[in-house]
Amino acid sequence: MMEYIPILVLILSFIYLLSIGTPVAWSIAISSTLTMMVSIPMIPALTTVSQRMATGLDSFALLAIPFFVLSGELMNRGGIAHRLIAFAKTIVGAFPGGLALINVMAAMLMGAIAGSAMASASAMGSILGPEMEKEGYSKEFGVAVNITSATTGLIIPPSNVLIVYSLASGGVSIAALFLAGYLPGILTGLFLMIVAVIWAKKKNYPLGKRSSLKEVFKTFWEALPSLLLLVVVIGGIVSGIFTATEASAIAVLYTLILGFIYKEINVKSLPKILLDSSSTTAIVMLLIAASMSMSWVMSYENIPQSISDTLLGISDNRIVILLIINLILLFVGIFMDMTPAVLIFTPIFLPVVTKLGMDPTHFGIIMVLNLCIGLCTPPVGSVLFVGVGVAKTTIQKVIKPLLPLFLAMVVALFLVTYIPSLTLWLPKLFGY
Amino acid sequence: MEALKNKIDYLLGNALVVIMGFMVINVLWQVFTRFILADPSSFTDELARFLMIWLGVLGAAYVSGKNLHVAIDVIPMRSTSSRRRRMNIMVDIMIILFAFAAFVIGGSRLVYISIVLGQHSPSLQIPMAFVYVVIPISGLLIVFFKSLKLNNDSNI
Repeated sequence: MMEYIPILVLILSFIYLLSIGTPVAWSIAISSTLTMMVSIPMIPALTTVSQRMATGLDSFALLAIPFFVLSGELMNRGGIAHRLIAFAKTIVGAFPGGLALINVMAAMLMGAIAGSAMASASAMGSILGPEMEKEGYSKEFGVAVNITSATTGLIIPPSNVLIVYSLASGGVSIAALFLAGYLPGILTGLFLMIVAVIWAKKKNYPLGKRSSLKEVFKTFWEALPSLLLLVVVIGGIVSGIFTATEASAIAVLYTLILGFIYKEINVKSLPKILLDSSSTTAIVMLLIAASMSMSWVMSYENIPQSISDTLLGISDNRIVILLIINLILLFVGIFMDMTPAVLIFTPIFLPVVTKLGMDPTHFGIIMVLNLCIGLCTPPVGSVLFVGVGVAKTTIQKVIKPLLPLFLAMVVALFLVTYIPSLTLWLPKLFGY
Repeated sequence: MEALKNKIDYLLGNALVVIMGFMVINVLWQVFTRFILADPSSFTDELARFLMIWLGVLGAAYVSGKNLHVAIDVIPMRSTSSRRRRMNIMVDIMIILFAFAAFVIGGSRLVYISIVLGQHSPSLQIPMAFVYVVIPISGLLIVFFKSLKLNNDSNI
């Protein structure tokens, strides 16, 4: 009985703190501290928590996160999002539901050069939202498309959350994870587009105008400097010239220079951009620090081991275990933001699936894709809040158009889970 | 008190901007020395990680002051206003206690231990106490910000 006390303290205090509205990061940190205090004397427990939190941030790889946040911010204000949308317009604009498809494609392009989904959701929502309304789209459908497609940016590299996974898994190669993300990300995007086309046909949304080849080239030419960033960042990482952190710092420099050339950013606007991205970073960092201490407490209490034994006791069939893990993660994703979920559940589930012969890179993509769905569900879907906030509507109204898009994401998730080569083919091709 | 808070906010914000800018320059310097000078700088990796700790821990205080940390407010939003008030007060108290216990006391002890052991960083050779001292500082700031908030919440 005694050995269950720390686990009970952890779970009950965490649920209590969350339910009275304590910020998620503090809830994680406080419940970890309480758990430590029932296991070891108070002063060493407090010292350990503060040390775990500080050393949790002591990683060169993590630095890529503030830099990708900063370069995303610079892209939004530097006119890059506009150019990507203009390019997407000439490619998919003429299909039924053209504007929705433009949104998905631009979000994927944005995801391919920026590392966070929030930036993309707010940029696409504020630029394309009004246009959709003008053409007779329902506002809520626009929001639903915007937030679901924004999450593809978390799977398509560069991706902050894959860097977090690399850290949590104890060093799965970031380059391999990045390569592994392309096909699942594109697949999810295509599924979302298919749903959007069907929905638009049913509602008789207008077709966009067809673009001439000349226009395609013109917009491509204008978007090219932005897209080149992809070559510099991903090319640099995959070929092993840069680490992810160095590449992200170069992305900052590159977007800054583009912003100056496009005359959308000047020296005066820099402090505000730096402050906004530091505070976004600080929010993520506290979550990381707190989750690192919780993950440490859990392994101190042998929790991952007992969960792993329980899971493997239920079945040793890979398909069954993966199904259970997927369902647990879908549930966790509803209540927990992506970063803490990855940091806390990777050490728990990764040993189980590697025991069943699964590739850690593959599991990372499954996990992130899974939690992406959680980002679009209330009550903690951060991307959902951004999308709804930008469009000035309510969550209740968005649920209905969101459902078919959810379904598309779940189908993509199951394909990615059960067809490993979707994830692993590209990294293998490059020798990872 | 509010004037003091605004002043601290302003200083903290500026500190974050400087740290962030410095971090970018530091890593770009690393790339520059490796590719252009072909003489990789030895300290940038360590400096970057320490700046990161400072940004994260000091940023926690800044974000607390602005109440920007994400919370799930489904239950408080559906409660009566007097219950919501009690919940808010409880949240403030929990954060104050945590910041004081873990950040101020635990953090100070961490600084103390690293001084006693004479810990220095491997490549920059700076005392580790300089790195960890940000924890109690941030703890005190969080206690200050949240006490102000507690005062506001209990006066509604």
